[in-house]
Amino acid sequence: MKRVLLSVLLCGLFWLHSSATATAVTQARLDEVTEQWQSSLHAVSEINCSSCHQDAESEAFIAQPTYESCQQCHEPETETFLLGKHGIRLQEGLSPLTPAIARIPMHKAARDLVMNCNTCHDVHTVNTYTAAVDACTTCHNDAHTQNYPNSPHAKLFANAGELPRPDAESVTCATCHLPRQTLGETDTVFVNHNNTYTLLPRDRMVKDVCLNCHGLEHAYNSIFDDELVEANFDQPPNQKLETFDLIRAFEKRRLGS
Amino acid sequence: MAKTNPRRFELKAFFNMKTALIVLILLLITWFGAAFVMDQKQIFVPGETSKGHHLFEASCKSCHEGFKPVSNDNCNRCHEAELAEDKHGVKKFRDPRWGEYLEEVDVLTCTACHNEHVHMFGRGVHLHPDLCMGCHEGIINGDLASHDGFTRDGCWTAGCHNFHDHRASSTAFLAAGLDQPFMLPQPELPELAIAPSQDRVPKADLAEEFLGGGA
Repeated sequence: MKRVLLSVLLCGLFWLHSSATATAVTQARLDEVTEQWQSSLHAVSEINCSSCHQDAESEAFIAQPTYESCQQCHEPETETFLLGKHGIRLQEGLSPLTPAIARIPMHKAARDLVMNCNTCHDVHTVNTYTAAVDACTTCHNDAHTQNYPNSPHAKLFANAGELPRPDAESVTCATCHLPRQTLGETDTVFVNHNNTYTLLPRDRMVKDVCLNCHGLEHAYNSIFDDELVEANFDQPPNQKLETFDLIRAFEKRRLGS
Repeated sequence: MAKTNPRRFELKAFFNMKTALIVLILLLITWFGAAFVMDQKQIFVPGETSKGHHLFEASCKSCHEGFKPVSNDNCNRCHEAELAEDKHGVKKFRDPRWGEYLEEVDVLTCTACHNEHVHMFGRGVHLHPDLCMGCHEGIINGDLASHDGFTRDGCWTAGCHNFHDHRASSTAFLAAGLDQPFMLPQPELPELAIAPSQDRVPKADLAEEFLGGGA
């Protein structure tokens, strides 16, 4: 009995020790993070350490800020994140999403990653380059994701080189799945993080995203081709949807020609 | 001998049954109690939860207010964006011209088509995929030449029509985009415009706090 008690105690101590070291920061790490922040857009936008690491009212130190810190400035991004699959568990008061809960193919090694803003976003460099593709491929392991490098979209992204954020010519995972949109009737551009809204590409994403660059027939002929979607659009579509023949005939009758 | 033996056996069986029942009830109480304590309430889910909703199925109160039927307000809490331009929404069916069609499918109640924890035909719809035929049967039976002979259950399962959102599938929208080139003349994605508000970097305002290991 004594032995059992002793081992429980030892385990407890070990757990306390390991959790303490998990949150402790070395001077070297702090210097590195400070340097990242100094060259970030946050530093010249009145966002200092305390903006995220200190409670505005109680002034208590926050070691690991959550989405609530980001929400103070990035309201529409956070709100939409909480409505999508990635954030819905947080919105509903559950533990954050992990790939282990997903029903779609995920990398085994990523099973226990917890989904918060900083899972995908490098919050100190404020560089969204990683969040645009690499963050997605860390967890997602379906054919469409695996085939992204074969897509002409990926080549555009690679050609642009490493920028603080993908430019308007680059087409990344986020370009389609977390699209930049204007906020209501305003001109303000925000990133819609609600991937439930764009979940079914055939009736919303195609219009809101694909048609920014592509002609309608090309876009629809591609997105309604299961194999081409799986191959991540590695070639132009071969199919010609009957819908367009129907519409052409309809237009012809309507215009009486 | 032959008379007493079965009685003794019965008593013994009854005693055993009672013990078994008590053990079973205790086990169930422990099991359900543990589910609450360990926040594993998904064991109470009476059937498979639909794609998407399964992510938070352990949070019963997200959709259920006690044992009351799930209300539209509850669905709208999350799905407002998808229903922003609902073609089968309140606006249409408050109009007496369309109101009587509600007898076919009560489209103003989300759960009329989107029940949960039952078999789904895709898109969280539990009604049979030919649900459109209640009102639109004429479309495949001569009212619209282009759709003559189409199957009864293909309207939405084929991906052409979205019950709530017609923006990307309306005839007018598709007609306006006919014969466009593969790439539009000015391919354009919205650019995120972020302008710094200061011209020099300030000093970091926290330091020691991080080294303390976190509070």
